[in-house]
Amino acid sequence: MTRAEFNEAYGQHKDVLYRFARRMTGSGEVAEDLVHDCFVLVWRNRATHRPERGTMRSFLIGVTRNLALKRRQRERPFDELEDASAVCAPIDAAGRERGEMVAEAVAALPPLQREALILAEYEEMSLEEIGRATGVELAAVKSRLHRARENLRRMLAPLMQTKGVA
Amino acid sequence: MDPLDDPKLSELLKEWQVPGAPRSLDARVLRRDRWWSFLLTGSIRVPVPVGLLIAAMLLVMAVALVRRPAAKQPQSSVNLVEFRPVDDPHVRVIRGQL
Repeated sequence: MTRAEFNEAYGQHKDVLYRFARRMTGSGEVAEDLVHDCFVLVWRNRATHRPERGTMRSFLIGVTRNLALKRRQRERPFDELEDASAVCAPIDAAGRERGEMVAEAVAALPPLQREALILAEYEEMSLEEIGRATGVELAAVKSRLHRARENLRRMLAPLMQTKGVA
Repeated sequence: MDPLDDPKLSELLKEWQVPGAPRSLDARVLRRDRWWSFLLTGSIRVPVPVGLLIAAMLLVMAVALVRRPAAKQPQSSVNLVEFRPVDDPHVRVIRGQL
């Protein structure tokens, strides 16, 4: 990877990575650090980069995702990444912005459900691409996405009812 | 309803918007260091055996430097090697007036 290719990849994918990291961590500062660390890592290991392994976007999201999970593991070593039995309670909708409530609901999801949902809903990635970025099988992606949406429907029920959707 | 296809939920989720990467990130990632900045802020990785070898060499050099005898000071003694006595002395005694 040349300097020009690196700069092009940065310009093309920085916003996707930043939005993903910010939605995963809930912090702009942490997201900036993660994206910075991702590109530093990619530049340091540019000799070992293999473009034929997948799209640049899924590769960079994979790196950012691993950095985010490592950081979370350091901060909360005893928390489960994937809690299939997690049932999230409906959020309190009193006097709050809808976007704020959606953010809270997404943040309440277990991390592996959250990342699948963010990549599918906000970055509009295909299930196969999510699988490549997160390093799991298609079935696991579908399962996480399914549970994430179930939890979100439960948490956001008050908002969906006000829109006339059950 | 297929949980993998829920347009109503997708529509609701889109109400949470997040801005793109801040400009400060550009400055951090695309910063190009001057070649000499390495002399001020750079670092190098040295394998432990090489580091130990260098430390041992420095120690040996320091010990050798301390144990080296001090340089001899130039002697200020007088020798008579080039002294040539007068060939034909005319001695004249001058008596002082008492």
